[in-house]
Amino acid sequence: MHEGAIAESIVDILKQVMDDNNLKRIVRVRLKIGKMSGVMIDALLFALEALRSEEDVISQTAFDIVETDVKAKCNICGEFYEYSDVSEVVMLCKKCGMPLDIIEGKEMEIVDVEGE
Amino acid sequence: MKRVVVEKKILERNDESAKKIREILKNKGVFALNFMASPGAGKTTIIEKTIEALKDNYRISYIDGDLDTDRDASRIKKLGIDVVQINTSGACHLDADMVLKALKQVSLDCDILIIENVGNLVCPATFDVGANKNVVILSVPEGDDKVKKYPVMFNVADVVLLNKIDLLKFLDFDVEKVKKELKEINPDADFIEVSAKEGYGLDRWFEYLKNLIANSSLL
Repeated sequence: MHEGAIAESIVDILKQVMDDNNLKRIVRVRLKIGKMSGVMIDALLFALEALRSEEDVISQTAFDIVETDVKAKCNICGEFYEYSDVSEVVMLCKKCGMPLDIIEGKEMEIVDVEGE
Repeated sequence: MKRVVVEKKILERNDESAKKIREILKNKGVFALNFMASPGAGKTTIIEKTIEALKDNYRISYIDGDLDTDRDASRIKKLGIDVVQINTSGACHLDADMVLKALKQVSLDCDILIIENVGNLVCPATFDVGANKNVVILSVPEGDDKVKKYPVMFNVADVVLLNKIDLLKFLDFDVEKVKKELKEINPDADFIEVSAKEGYGLDRWFEYLKNLIANSSLL
């Protein structure tokens, strides 16, 4: 379960954000996780919950996770594809048969935080 | 209450370390391969055969990631090449920081650096370890449904080796289905059928690898 390592990276970045912005506590964090990032949301929330007791920075923090669909585009004909189910993803253009470029769905990002 | 826009990649630190690894390897003229597969797919055996076949013409170093024990590392050490073992102590994948640390110990006076990731078809796919190419091994006994089940891993593969092809006659395994599903999730991935035990297809893999290395040195 690599979500433990991801949760630790989130905590490290949040500590930096707290220092940089003179925050005493962080109450809310918005995360953007692509469906093709390889991260299981439930496992990530579980890992963050497990870290809560040992990491003061997230002791009172709520995590909002925005899960993004996989979006891909054909660079040849411009056709756009969106997949909400990763097992359905086909990286070939149905119109012209060329490989697609993923434009969204692999990201793992801290979008913003609320604190005081 | 204050809202702070962060917009930071969670794995930014890993990606920075992976970039450092690429720079170090490029300066040294080293071509690095990251081998990923399930436990038991045949990573170490394929690596052994690859080293045996190429070691007279290429200098090879090897980094092994394992949860515990140095069994794989001692197998490779017997071949007389420089080996560094990373015990991830429970972690299910290698990350770029672990590899960066191992680079300080392993001999970089080499042409090829082989990184054997932890046996796992999920977690290693998420962590860039700074290699030039990702080699993903699938083996026949695992079943022909794995590409669709682990799309993130097969999407990051540069080449997929289908190992234990000698067992096709005993098992219901549809090679064409695997090829088709691989093409769908990763149209650019190459695909080579091998049997590390019987030797089938290995020459094709060695030639493929030699070409990769030759082409990379032209860049």
